[in-house]
Amino acid sequence: MAELKKNVGQTVGGFFKSIGGFFSEFGTAVIKGDIFVKLSLLWMGAGYARRKQYIKAAIMTVIQAAVILFTVKFAMEYIPKFGSLGTVKPEKVFNMKTMKNEFNDYDNSFQILLFSLFSFVVWFAAAVFWMRNVVNVYKLQKTAEAGKHVNTFLEDLHAYKEEKFYVTLLTLPVLGVVIFTFIPILLLIFVAFTNYDQNHMPPNSLFTWVGFDNFLSLFGGGGLTATFGYAFVRVLGWTLVWALFSTITTYIGGILLSLLLNSKKTRMPKFWRTLFIVTIAVPQFVSLLLVRNFFSNGGIVNTICSNIGLTGFLRDIGLVSTSYIPFLSAPGWAHVMIILINIWIGVPYQMLIATGVLMNLPSDQLESARVDGATPFQIFRKITMPYLLFVTGPALVTDFVKNINNFNVIYLLTENVYTTTNQAMANSQAKEVDLLVTWLFRLTQDYYNYKMASAIGIVVFVICSIFTLVAFNRMIKGDREGTYQ
Amino acid sequence: MKKMKNSRTSTIVLHNLLIAALAIFWLIPIVWLVCTSFSEYSGMNTSTFFPEKWSAIHYSKLFHPDSVAQFPQWFMNTFIIACFTCVISTMFVLMVAYATSVMRFKMRKPLMNMAVILNLFPGMLAMIAVYFTLKSFGLTNSYAGLIMVYSASSGLGYLIAKGFFDTVPRALCEAARIDGCSEARIFFQIILPMSRPIVVYTVISSFLVPWMDFVYAKMILNAGISSKYTVAVGLFKMLDKSLINSYFTLFCAGGVLVSIPISILFIIMQKFYVEGITGGAVKG
Repeated sequence: MAELKKNVGQTVGGFFKSIGGFFSEFGTAVIKGDIFVKLSLLWMGAGYARRKQYIKAAIMTVIQAAVILFTVKFAMEYIPKFGSLGTVKPEKVFNMKTMKNEFNDYDNSFQILLFSLFSFVVWFAAAVFWMRNVVNVYKLQKTAEAGKHVNTFLEDLHAYKEEKFYVTLLTLPVLGVVIFTFIPILLLIFVAFTNYDQNHMPPNSLFTWVGFDNFLSLFGGGGLTATFGYAFVRVLGWTLVWALFSTITTYIGGILLSLLLNSKKTRMPKFWRTLFIVTIAVPQFVSLLLVRNFFSNGGIVNTICSNIGLTGFLRDIGLVSTSYIPFLSAPGWAHVMIILINIWIGVPYQMLIATGVLMNLPSDQLESARVDGATPFQIFRKITMPYLLFVTGPALVTDFVKNINNFNVIYLLTENVYTTTNQAMANSQAKEVDLLVTWLFRLTQDYYNYKMASAIGIVVFVICSIFTLVAFNRMIKGDREGTYQ
Repeated sequence: MKKMKNSRTSTIVLHNLLIAALAIFWLIPIVWLVCTSFSEYSGMNTSTFFPEKWSAIHYSKLFHPDSVAQFPQWFMNTFIIACFTCVISTMFVLMVAYATSVMRFKMRKPLMNMAVILNLFPGMLAMIAVYFTLKSFGLTNSYAGLIMVYSASSGLGYLIAKGFFDTVPRALCEAARIDGCSEARIFFQIILPMSRPIVVYTVISSFLVPWMDFVYAKMILNAGISSKYTVAVGLFKMLDKSLINSYFTLFCAGGVLVSIPISILFIIMQKFYVEGITGGAVKG
């Protein structure tokens, strides 16, 4: 635990240090810079114009103008309403000029929230850019004063192929991530603190800030959604059980299968491996939807089971109360079946990874163990297994997190098939077989309950990050990045 | 001596029989898929494992589109989307991987930590907001929107490629730099040719994304115009409660046809996958 604290401390400390460094650099530039550097605070092109870098000065001016235009034309329309998320409801108003009923100029809470956040991100980027600009201009001044060569525009451009090549490489991918991942996540974090649901759907009505109300009802607080706390505990429990079992079963199964296939006794290992891979090569929406119909209440497996008398036997011992075996439609049965079906899907995957790792097993160790007369089982326990754990340990952590968010398997197997009979669960639109992610998906897709979905999403994130932090700090001691280069 | 040899042969036979039994068990649903697709009956066959009457009629039906099933069109749609996604994603992934693996700059560690944090958020959550963003730009029900969804954030999945680049000997890059080689040339002419397994892996895996995904496609292409669907959405819709009884066999036939090219690509990819993943995991 102490180590964890130290590691987190280092990361956080390093983060603040670099921010502090950035600000002090900016401060020095402003204080020690000449008049043109100071003028750059107002007109970003000033410093470059002084050093006769006219093209760069022009570009800076255009960027500055664009940000100002963006602020006036766009940001200022939404940001002032950010505190209330809009006050004017849509109403039909009689327009004297056109003699028709027309909508008034109403507020759309969602647009206000989205575009305000977008503006904040743009402003933040612009502020950083502006500060960096001053620092750069100050560097330029020092270069010029020292009588060194001042780069021409072409030379500056050339740097993006050389020491600044990473800027060229990273700009577009980072932009993509910011727009398609970062801003959306930010947006939904904010939505978790509003009352955005079916009764407050823009554009017909407004939603507003409610503080921590959604989290209170998620953790069992009162109000109209009193059952949310009840459903949350059960869904969370199943999510963790599922993640644990699915990770462990497929991991162990994969290792066993790969040991079996890679054994010297196996004839045609490649052929067998390909057969197993076919099951994961078929897209999941085909294979899982098929399996779901395979095991449906009136499906083929049920027909066979009742023909051979298994259904009757299970009814006699009281495991089944219907005329069919409810493989995917009753709690308990469905939970077990989902984990079993996941073994079918997941083991070949783990087998692939384990095969690759086993091929790299240090053969000198195996050889010396064999010479010393170790039994195959001893070799497996003392050499193979520790090595596998060492190499695939981190992957085990990511697998666990992936399984917490394993939407496909649960959704494809249970959607439209499993209906809950538990009234309290149904009240909060949850099912016994739901993971947190499938629950939040249903809340948004069918019930437009965005506020609770966002709150659940944040909880998922917190669980995943705590788990990852603890596990990684336990498993990976220090940074191994450069060890084998 | 002879006895020992006999027992060895028998363990080998037993060993291989065990594998065969497992393989058969694993393939049961796939066999069922193929068999059912050759059934004459359109609905789901629930009484016998093998169809009662064999026929390839549903395969020919696939190529004569009706209002629900427009398989050739779906296949084209998905192919186009997959090509664009493949090009953009591959570029993004390799660019990020190279920058974080080979180059050293101030923002490297913060950016990588940021990526780890972003990866911990459930993607489903961001998806809803992305949907609204696309909607406000009028990009829902368009392929451009779908391509963006598939490829824009692909840079976050750079870790496997980075792990591989980490194993390329640094001395090579240093030597090239001393010889006056630009970073861009090091990337294109040294690192990329040496990283063939991971490039192939990235290309195939990003090409497969639109073929495998149905959630995002279902969300973006929600206008219900059947001719604009991707294969996944189209096949998924065939199993609606109202359609399953007349389209189940067609679903199986379509599933088989999609699975064949995907399986071939996947089997090619897994070779590179094993090389790439272990190359990264073991050596760095």
